[in-house]
Formats: sequence, structure tokens, C-alpha cells
Amino acid sequence: MPPIPTRAITIIGFAVLAAAMVALEILARRPGSRIPTVGEWLGYLMRPKLGRFLVLAGWWWLGWHYFAR
Amino acid sequence: MATDPAPAQRDRFRPLARPRRPVRLALLVLLSAGLAVYAWVVAGAAPFSRGALIGVIIPGAVLGTIALARPPERIPPPDKLDMTGMSYWVICLAAFFEWEASAWRDSSWPWHPSFTNLIDPLLAPHLIESAAILVWLLAGWALVRR
Repeated sequence: MPPIPTRAITIIGFAVLAAAMVALEILARRPGSRIPTVGEWLGYLMRPKLGRFLVLAGWWWLGWHYFAR
Repeated sequence: MATDPAPAQRDRFRPLARPRRPVRLALLVLLSAGLAVYAWVVAGAAPFSRGALIGVIIPGAVLGTIALARPPERIPPPDKLDMTGMSYWVICLAAFFEWEASAWRDSSWPWHPSFTNLIDPLLAPHLIESAAILVWLLAGWALVRR
């Protein structure tokens, strides 16, 4: 069997993590789930003003990183 | 005879406080079309250009101003998070950042690409980048409401 190239391993790693996060969000939306949704934990982080600033700054950075560069 | 002006005032101000349904729908359609056009225009700007930079600065400034000066009614956050439930997210996010950091540190794009290296070619078609910018704008608004 030919060896799996490191590029494929890297891509599989990202794909597994992305799939895990989508699965977590789906599980979190089931009634009575103990897992918070993305919106819930982001809202919790944004309770203090500093958290709000950092989360919004992170959102802006993502836009700059992917759409302005 | 004393009269209570409150009901009359409420009736007078209700249409201003909450537009009627067709008006709201029309505003929503107009706003969505405006955002889609904006996303399409920004996606057309060349990378590292002034237009692309201004295209992301404007939404940041607008949402930052709204968040600071006139925040909309916020969706109440939970008082506390379940630590076990949250730990699943922390594990996934930590693994993601570790994977990304190792790719960035390795700095060998063909063999160990970073998340950005993988996403950039996917965003190359104009339509896809426009859709991604639209999602980014809507995510920003969702964050301001949180």
C-alpha cells in the first residue's frame, strides 16, 4: 500500500475537525442538550465588554484575512 | 374630567416603533439586496488592494458603531455554561488551532497546508467569494445581537 502523503493527512485532519464541530452544533440543538450552541457560548463570552470587543475584533479579522488579502 | 393620554399616545407611536408587516418585509428585501450587491462588489476587488481593505473596514466600522452606540435588543446569553458540554467545543477548537499552528510553523504549503491555504482556492470563484462575504456580514450582525 502506498504511503499516505502528509498533505492528505493535513486535509483529513481539518475535515474531521470541521465535521466534529458541525456534529457538536447539531447535538447542541437537541432539546435538553448539555452542549451549548455556538451562539450560546459566544454570547456567554460576550457578556463582559472586553469579551464583546475581542469576539467582534476576531470576526473583523476573519473578514480581513480572507477577503482583503 | 381627567383623561388618560397614554392609550392615545401609544396608538400614535405604535406605527413608528414597529413598522407594519409589508413595510418590514420590503425593508428586509431591500436590505438583503443591498448586502448581496455589496458582497458582490467587494468580492470583485483585487487582493491587497485599497478597495478590498475599505470593503472590510466599512462593515467593521458600521457594526462596531452599532454595537457601541446603539446596540439592538440582545438575545440574552446563558447565565452559565455546562463545563462538560463546553469541554467538547474546547477540545475541537484547541485541536483546530494546534493543527493550524503546526501548518503555519511548518510553512511548507504543498505538504502541510494551513486552513487558509486550503480555503483560498475555494474562494477564488467570484460567486463563492460573494456568498462567503455575505455570510461574514450576516455573522457580524448575529454577533452584534448576542
